[in-house]
Amino acid sequence: MRRSTLSRRSLLRTTALAAASVVSAPYVRHSHAAGKLTLGVWDHWVPGANNTLTRLCNEWSDKNKVEVTIDYITSQGDKDILTASAEAQARAGHDIMSHRAWQIQVHRDVLEPVDDVINALIAKAGPISPVAEYLAKANGKWFGLPTTIGSQVKPCCSRIDLYKQHCGIDITKIFPNNPNRDPNLVDSWNWDLYLKTAEQLFKAGSPVGLPMGQTSDAIDSTGAMFRAFGSVMVDEKDNIKVDSNETRLALEYFKKLMPFNPPEVYAWDDAGNNRWLISGKGAGIMNPPSAWSVAKRDNPKVAEQCWTHDMPRGPAGRFVGQLPFFYGLWSFAQNKPAGKALLQFLSEKDQSRQLVEASNGYDLPSFKSFYDFDTWTKVEPPVGTVYNYPPRGDVEPSITGYPARPDVATQIYNQSIHTIMVAKVCQGNEPIDQVVKWAKSELEGMLRA
Amino acid sequence: MRAVAGGQGDGEWALPGNGSAMVDLARQYPGGLAEPAARPRASMQRFLRRRSTIAVLMCLPLIAIVAGLIVYPALYSIYLAMLNKAQTRFVGLGNFAYLLQRDTFWMVVQQSAIFALSAVFFKALIGLITAHLVNNLPSKGQRKWRGMLLVPWVIPLALSTLGWWWLFDPTHSAFNWIIQSFGGNEIPWLSNPYWARFSVILVNVWYGAPFFLIMYLAALKSVPEQLYEAAQIDGANAWQRFLHITLPMMRNIIAITVLFSLIVTFANFDIVQIMTAGGPRNMTHVFATYAFLLGIRSGDLPLGASVSLFMFPILAISAMFILRGVRKRGREIG
Amino acid sequence: MTASVAISERPRLAAGASLKRNRRWALVTSYVFLILFAIFFLTPPYYMIVTSLKTDAEVAHLATNPWIISSGVTFEQYRLLFQGTDFLIYFKNTVIVTLCVVVISMVVSVLAAFSLSRMRFWGSGILATGIFLTYLIPDTLLFIPLFQIVRGLGLLNSYWSMVLVYPTLTVPFCTWIMIGYFQSIPKELDEAALIDGAGHMQMLLRIFIPVALPGIIAATIFAFTVSWAAFVYPIAFLFSADQQVLTVGTVTSLIKADVYKWGMLMAGALVAAAPPLVVYAFLMDYYIAGLTAGATKG
Repeated sequence: MRRSTLSRRSLLRTTALAAASVVSAPYVRHSHAAGKLTLGVWDHWVPGANNTLTRLCNEWSDKNKVEVTIDYITSQGDKDILTASAEAQARAGHDIMSHRAWQIQVHRDVLEPVDDVINALIAKAGPISPVAEYLAKANGKWFGLPTTIGSQVKPCCSRIDLYKQHCGIDITKIFPNNPNRDPNLVDSWNWDLYLKTAEQLFKAGSPVGLPMGQTSDAIDSTGAMFRAFGSVMVDEKDNIKVDSNETRLALEYFKKLMPFNPPEVYAWDDAGNNRWLISGKGAGIMNPPSAWSVAKRDNPKVAEQCWTHDMPRGPAGRFVGQLPFFYGLWSFAQNKPAGKALLQFLSEKDQSRQLVEASNGYDLPSFKSFYDFDTWTKVEPPVGTVYNYPPRGDVEPSITGYPARPDVATQIYNQSIHTIMVAKVCQGNEPIDQVVKWAKSELEGMLRA
Repeated sequence: MRAVAGGQGDGEWALPGNGSAMVDLARQYPGGLAEPAARPRASMQRFLRRRSTIAVLMCLPLIAIVAGLIVYPALYSIYLAMLNKAQTRFVGLGNFAYLLQRDTFWMVVQQSAIFALSAVFFKALIGLITAHLVNNLPSKGQRKWRGMLLVPWVIPLALSTLGWWWLFDPTHSAFNWIIQSFGGNEIPWLSNPYWARFSVILVNVWYGAPFFLIMYLAALKSVPEQLYEAAQIDGANAWQRFLHITLPMMRNIIAITVLFSLIVTFANFDIVQIMTAGGPRNMTHVFATYAFLLGIRSGDLPLGASVSLFMFPILAISAMFILRGVRKRGREIG
Repeated sequence: MTASVAISERPRLAAGASLKRNRRWALVTSYVFLILFAIFFLTPPYYMIVTSLKTDAEVAHLATNPWIISSGVTFEQYRLLFQGTDFLIYFKNTVIVTLCVVVISMVVSVLAAFSLSRMRFWGSGILATGIFLTYLIPDTLLFIPLFQIVRGLGLLNSYWSMVLVYPTLTVPFCTWIMIGYFQSIPKELDEAALIDGAGHMQMLLRIFIPVALPGIIAATIFAFTVSWAAFVYPIAFLFSADQQVLTVGTVTSLIKADVYKWGMLMAGALVAAAPPLVVYAFLMDYYIAGLTAGATKG
């Protein structure tokens, strides 16, 4: 009983061993293609979100007579990445694994192409986000299926009351929970204003918190900020472009901004900014709604003042850090037809809607046509708190490392070049030129290896 | 039989020989742990052969383990370090050259050296001091104190590191609570790179000092009391007695423990991995954690192996000195 | 005469008195500093215990004194640990692994030690030196090539891989300890046994092991402690919860999502640290004998 209620591992049993080919399993060609499927899925940060996936897999498993087992693996300490790497090395493990950001590219030699599933989905739901395509496609083939679960963007999540009180700004007016935005207000929300308000909040004792460590929260947001200034590390033709005015502009900006953050941001892991907001100390972070979801449970007073909204605009545009998740089917998986069938089932509109609902709006589907789910309008308090979570206006999702080719971008991402540069300038007080030189040498190494 | 269990509070423990099996080994093989002299007895030739077959058979499991799981992997790692990332091509010294050109790698070298040298120094120092303090106590009390002071060593390092991590937590640090109660500023134990280095060293010293305490306490007891009394009558004060009697008598054991500790501290993994994972800014990385990062986490096993192999020269040199020290001590006693 | 006696008496009395005074001073300062050191050494375990007995709310609360329990002792963290996490699975795995490794280590090292300490054969000297040297090769150098080897054997992500590799940590030093103990057994015993017609195995079993029992206990404790506390190999080779051992499991897998449950983490750390502590408490002398049988890891 402990297993089914509290453990992360859910064993879903079937009633009959007899296989039956069903409509929802178009890839199950043979009558004896039932059997087992094991999934390694990202352990969701929103309390209770895992249960919906378990239930959906249960439904599918019952209908298709395939035994499905799910292991929920946390991304804390990169456990998910480590597990996937080990399985790729060992050529053994779960059939389907969650992969985030660049990991599909890292493992593409051991992954099964899933073009058939992708094409079926596109036929029904329309185009997939270009970032997903960039991350999951190689040599014209799709090696990963963008998932709803875990896929996230990291826009601003701010305290309505603190911004009103200390900065005189009503963010609910700039980014209301309806499509009627005032273009002037939206335009005014740029990095200069962000810096100004950050200073006001810091002086008032409720600073914003931008993580600057070496985990994905830090890497995703910082990368998006660099892009907003037009800075590029390596372009798609392998030219190192870090040594530019844009990069210097970005670093100068950080030099002014970081002192208005608590000093521990340099050591924050992915949970650091969540804890910061939930504790009530922080006025703003850049995060998907997980922090707000947990605050609803642990600190409701804070939760009802949270408002998710767009990132500030920079000279080169408005970008938000995106962290897509993908399902990967290993090429050594035992039951590939069933795997593809399950994956298609989970990605369809109805299931996606349920998953988004279960995650309180955290999960972001990769089909823009799914952005009309009403979860984002409904959940509260306060009403409309995550309406602006899916990228709606002029904000563009960005993945750190873009536009370099995947092999190089993976390294830029995994070795957190952006955040280390900022930390060197702001915490280590190194001159900007020296830091740029260091980045250049690191990037050269990445191109060589 | 001298190999008896330690008595109650008499300060003696079950120590074969004079507390060092290693030393006994040196005595047994006076040629410096080289091959023993053969002792052929014509009439017992068959018996000897039979004996040595049994002997070899008994040693086989050990040989199998050592050869298969220590020597072979060590050699294999040299080969592995010379492959490319996908392990399809031989790249010779390419990985080593690549590392030597990385700033991060040199930082790892620097940090490992700082970490190992300062931690070992403080562990030895604290060990020496506490050994003297405990030795000053009446024999009955020594056992109790010794028992209490060894606790850090007994708790598995990974778990006590977890406790220290909690003590250093930026929001909830109990240490900062004390500091702030006295009106001071909270210390960024793990967020500031230099404090992070300090914290990592502190935990290592906390963990390892009790071991030095035990070793030095045993060694102190082997220094004859009469020497001290004679010196005292001659008017030597405590410091002079320490300098001219204790230290020389203990010189070898100090050298041996320090060198061993250097090797082990140099190769330490648990503390850094759990508390800082090498950060912030890669400034607390030591060889082991950096090898783990490159080899296992980034999937470049050959590069990870190259990082580990850089530890080898230090280990070899220390091992050489330890061997020498052991033989010298063997000669001293035997 | 009395005067000269008195004169000669006084310096000796004075010397005696000052010796005693020195003794007392030394004693007082010793205690003072020892108490300070004891505080240093025992603070983390104390704090871990205190935290594990607090409620979640008190752990998160910033204003109260963290060094004491203010809102009442609770065993909720322990209950959660045992009922709501995979902790007991880790415990079971660690017990299995440790038992197997201890048995293997002791068998291998006793046999080898007997052979090396009593029977000269070609290469035994080299072997003895070799064992000593291999002990100096750290696990952090071997874990990467061993990763390949373990993978090749198909043992990746299985705790049996731990049973395979842990003996590399224990056997060299256990052999070493046992060699020392065996060597201190007088040769006359051997010869007497041989004359009586005893074979080598019988000599080992009937004479050596009983006589060197303290050494065996010390070596067993050493093997137990090292296996229980191993961290590098499990973190590199084990990934699923059902195969994980205590050290890695407690430190990496008990942390769920974003809010660390420190109370439960500390409870986990303490329960995981309990067996070595218990062994130490009851068999302290053997434990220390094992350590001091040669300058070792520190």
